[in-house]
This record gives sequence, structure tokens and C-alpha cells, in this order.
Amino acid sequence: MLLQQIADGVATGAIYGALALAIVLVYRASRTLNFAQGELALLGAYVSWQLVAWGVPLWTALAISMIALGALSAASERVLVRPLVRRHQPLPLIIVTLGLMIALNAVIGWAWTYQTKEVPALFGEGAVTVAGIALSRQDLGIAATVLVVAIGLGLLFERTRAGLRMRAAISAPESAELSGISTGRTMTAGWAIAGAVGALAGTLIAPELFLHPGMMAPVLLYAFAAATLGGLESPPGALVGGIAVGVVENLAGSYLPHGSDFKQVVALVIIVAVLLVRPQGMFGRREVVRV
Amino acid sequence: MTATTTRASTARSGRERGRSRDSLAAWLRRPRPPLAPPRWLAVLATAAGAIALAVVPLVNPSYINLTLTLVMIWTIVGLGLNLLVGFGGQVSLGHSAFFAIGAYAVAVGGAAGLPHPATLAGAAVVPFVVGYLVGLPALRLHGLQLGLVTLAMAMATPAAIRALEPLTQGSRGIAIDGSPPAWVPLAHDQWVYYLALALATVAYVVTRRLARGRLGRSFVAVRDAEVVAETLGVDVWHTKTRLFAASAAYAGVAGGLYAMLLEFIGPENFSLTLSISFVTLIVVGGLATVPGAVLGALFVQYVPTLTSSISPAATGAAYGVVLILFAFFVPFGLVGLARAALGRIVARLPGARGT
Repeated sequence: MLLQQIADGVATGAIYGALALAIVLVYRASRTLNFAQGELALLGAYVSWQLVAWGVPLWTALAISMIALGALSAASERVLVRPLVRRHQPLPLIIVTLGLMIALNAVIGWAWTYQTKEVPALFGEGAVTVAGIALSRQDLGIAATVLVVAIGLGLLFERTRAGLRMRAAISAPESAELSGISTGRTMTAGWAIAGAVGALAGTLIAPELFLHPGMMAPVLLYAFAAATLGGLESPPGALVGGIAVGVVENLAGSYLPHGSDFKQVVALVIIVAVLLVRPQGMFGRREVVRV
Repeated sequence: MTATTTRASTARSGRERGRSRDSLAAWLRRPRPPLAPPRWLAVLATAAGAIALAVVPLVNPSYINLTLTLVMIWTIVGLGLNLLVGFGGQVSLGHSAFFAIGAYAVAVGGAAGLPHPATLAGAAVVPFVVGYLVGLPALRLHGLQLGLVTLAMAMATPAAIRALEPLTQGSRGIAIDGSPPAWVPLAHDQWVYYLALALATVAYVVTRRLARGRLGRSFVAVRDAEVVAETLGVDVWHTKTRLFAASAAYAGVAGGLYAMLLEFIGPENFSLTLSISFVTLIVVGGLATVPGAVLGALFVQYVPTLTSSISPAATGAAYGVVLILFAFFVPFGLVGLARAALGRIVARLPGARGT
């Protein structure tokens, strides 16, 4: 029973981890939180759904949706975020991504109505039983996909020249500029990858939660909790944080009284606790302010 | 007096120099001093406004009183939130939580048999204490993290209300008796209107004094240069926690009035949407301006009624687009626009100060 709950938690946690990964990529690129990350993922899920409804094969639909959302995310970085980052204005930046979140949600509600839609499971129905724990093919597929994406991104960052440039632009923007790296381009790239990963997360979780415009708000909250737990700057931290949050959420839902209501409070408690006890998270670095 | 004169004249000459050079966007973004109407105009306008506000509920049908009362309730929230965000530079996306605490303080206090003044005081005190306690740890965090914590608060509020069922009656909702005491010869809507008017007036005057006084300047100092402020002897940590708590108390009082006005509240009244409309309110009205709260309150009360006739999604779209546009082009909100449009006219009126 306990092991079953943990296994279920790992699968949803992998999705929180994927969205947290998107949050971390944006944070590393622009030093801001994109409050619209959840709605971008939601839009990705809707694009996938729409393409499937038009007869496009599911995996092709997912690929198109990831490319489209990557482009949209990059465009919003270029048009909405960059000018404010360059002006060093944190408050307008928060207001703008908040505005984007509300506007996107409204546009989605407008285009696809507020009725829930059923999304086909990417990995088919059925379950595999291992040592008394029933693992659905869907859950296994999600965990595997997220793992593949994470390893792919890890290789991109650590083993390629493009990845080296991105890391340089993040850790020492001025020196990077001086050695001929366009920090602007790496920022846009970060947002583009985040948009695509978000679209993947949205499409993966849609069959579990049923697709409707309010679907991503709680998921975004868990993803923020996961990113905070992982340290906001660390992609592996985001994944580990996501799985931890998924497991805790699932256990709280089953074992606490009023569990299903307390689930959202759990995310709040995790965020506050991490920020108080260890603000740099599990994998982050402590921030030092120079006067 | 001399100091005012120099400041006003440099501001004006700067404006005239800039006009030929700057783009429209830069012209919109320029900070401007508050309007300084001549004394006779200020007195006249205040008197006319006071009389109009006092007579309005006696001659209007109750649904108009209801919307006007809501405007005053949003104004109170906006004044408090703008103190925190505009003057203090601390982001809060979670004021719907304090609004809810205030509302439930009135509801639960009323159910326990307490009279109105006591429950409304509770609606100020309980959120103040909660805000202080939340502020203690949360304000060690910098802007984004505070935004995150308060966003999580706003999203957890309906769930928390449902989970605290013994106190709040959960998703069934709770009824409030908002009718006036026996010695007041007013209908329910008129009674709550006058209560809201009184409290909004007090809140407005207090906020104006705060914003212009030593405390307001220390808020701005902490916002713009925390380390410098600390070096100059501002107790940054105390300033921030008290500011957060005071701002929560404003939201709580407004929530209490809201509960008395609607006479029935439930968890779905206090969703994230409410918090977002509070943020929209201060951004549209004008960050770090006091009259901005009134203009923003009018916006969040009347724009949704216009847009919802187009589509249920139109309100969200309008809020989102307006937030983005204002953040980019109109950082001082409607008040900034009014200053830009009326500044020169007001300065030419007979008896104008600073000319």
C-alpha cells in the first residue's frame, strides 16, 4: 500500500519535475520566475489535443506542439521579458509574466471553451505488476520520457559547445559577452527549451487530470515547490525536487485527514519550509550580495 | 515653500526640454510630481465629493449601492496593497488570503454573537497578526521568493477554508447577519455603504499621511536601496514586517466589509482570481500613488461587468493585456496619465501653488 502510493507519487512527480525544469531553465536565463509557465504548458497540451482531434498521430502532434510552444516561449522572452531584464526591473517583470498567465488562460478558455476534454494516453492503457505494485504503462512511460529528456538536456549542457556557451553566459555574463558569446541568444534559447519541455509536461499530464483551462494552476504550484526544493538553479535538483514533491503530495492525500483539501497546502508548506531552512534548496548555491 | 517652488519648476523645465527629444513611450514613462491644485479647488472638490458620497445611497436602488460599496471595499484593499507593493517594493500575490481571513473573522465572530464593531475590529486585528507572523520569515526572502510564497498562499486559501470546516463550515459556506443595529434607521445596503465609506475615508487619510511622512519615505528607501537605508538608520526588517502586517490589516477590514455586504461567503469567493484582480487594481491605478487605489478600484469593479457581456474569457484577457501594457508603458498607472494630462492645466489655475 505504502509502496504503491510512493510509486504513484513518482510518476506525477516526474511531471512536476519536468515543469520545474522549465522554471529552472527560465530562471537561469533571465533571473526571474515565469508565472505563465503553467499556462504555456497548458497551451501545449491543447495544441497536442487539437492536432490529435484533426487526425495527426499522437507522437507527431506532441513534437509539433513542443516546437510551437518553444517558439512562442522564445518570442515572449524576446518581446516581453528582455526589455525589462535589461532595465533591471523585477516588479514589472513579475507583473508581465502574471499578465501573460491570465491572458493565455483566457485565450485558451475562449478558443477551446471551459469544458473538459479527454486526452488519449500516450503509452496506452494497462498496467505491469512488479513485486505487488501495479505500475500503469502510462506512469512508466512518463517517468521514462522525463528521464530521457533530462539526460538529453544534461548532455546538451555538459557535452556540447552550445551548452558550454549557455553555461558561460549564465555564470559570468560579462566575461561571456567579451569572449563573443551573445547572452541574449542564450537567454532566448533557455526560454525556447523551457517552452518545449513545458509542452511535453502538459501533454503528459493531460490524460491524468483531464484537459480543462484550470488544469495547470495546481500543477504549476507543485512545480514551483519542486524547483524551490531543488534550488531554482539546478536542473537535476528540479527533477529530484519534483519527485519528492509528487511522493509527499500523494502520501499527504492518502494519509492525512481532509487529505485532498490539504494537498495544495502541502505545496505552500514545502515552499515556506525550504525557503526558511535552506533557501538555496538542495542543489543551489547560497546567494551572496556584494555591497 | 521655496523648496516646493524649485522642485515644481525644475520638473516643468525638464518636461519641456524632454518633449522634443523623447518618444511617446518615454514621455509616458516619466515620473511626475502629484497634481497640486489650488487650495480653493481642492476644498471645493473634496466638499462636493463628500456631499455626493453621503447622499448617493439615500437616492439609489440597492444594487447600485452594492457596486459602490464594492468599489470602496476594493479601494481599501488597494490602499493597503499599494503601500506594500508600490511604496515598499514587496510583491504580494496573496492578499486574497488576508481578505478571506477578515471576511471569516466577521462571519465567525458574528456567529459567536459578537456585535458588528467588534467583529470588524477582529477583521483588522487577526489579519494583522497573521500578516506579521507570515511576514517574520517571508520577508527574509527577496522579491521573487516572496511572490512565490504569497502566490502559494492565494492558491491554498480555498483549500484551507474547506479543510477548516468546524470553524468555516467548509464548502457549504457561512451566512453573516449584516443588518444594522436596531437604533440605526437604515436599510442593510445603506448601512454597509456608510460603514465602508467611513472606513475607506479613514484608510485613505491614514495612507496619505503615511505615504508622505517619515514612514513612507523609509518604505521607499528600503524599496530603492535597502543597504543604504539600513546604513542611514532605517530598521529594514521592522519596517518590512510592519508594512506587511499593516497591509494585511487593510485587506482584512475590506474582507470583513465584503462579508457584511454579501451576507454569505464560501471558499470560492477567495480564489486566486481575487488576488490577481488586487494586483491589477494597483497596477492600473498607479503604483506608489495614493489616489491610484480609487481609480484602480473603479477599474476592477466596472471593467469585468463590461467584458463579461462579451465572453466569460474576456475579463481574464482584458486583465492580462492591461497588466502587460501598463507594466511596459504606463508604470504610474491612471494616476500617472492624469498627472501628464492635467499637470499643466492645474498649474495655470488662478491661485495655483508653486507658481
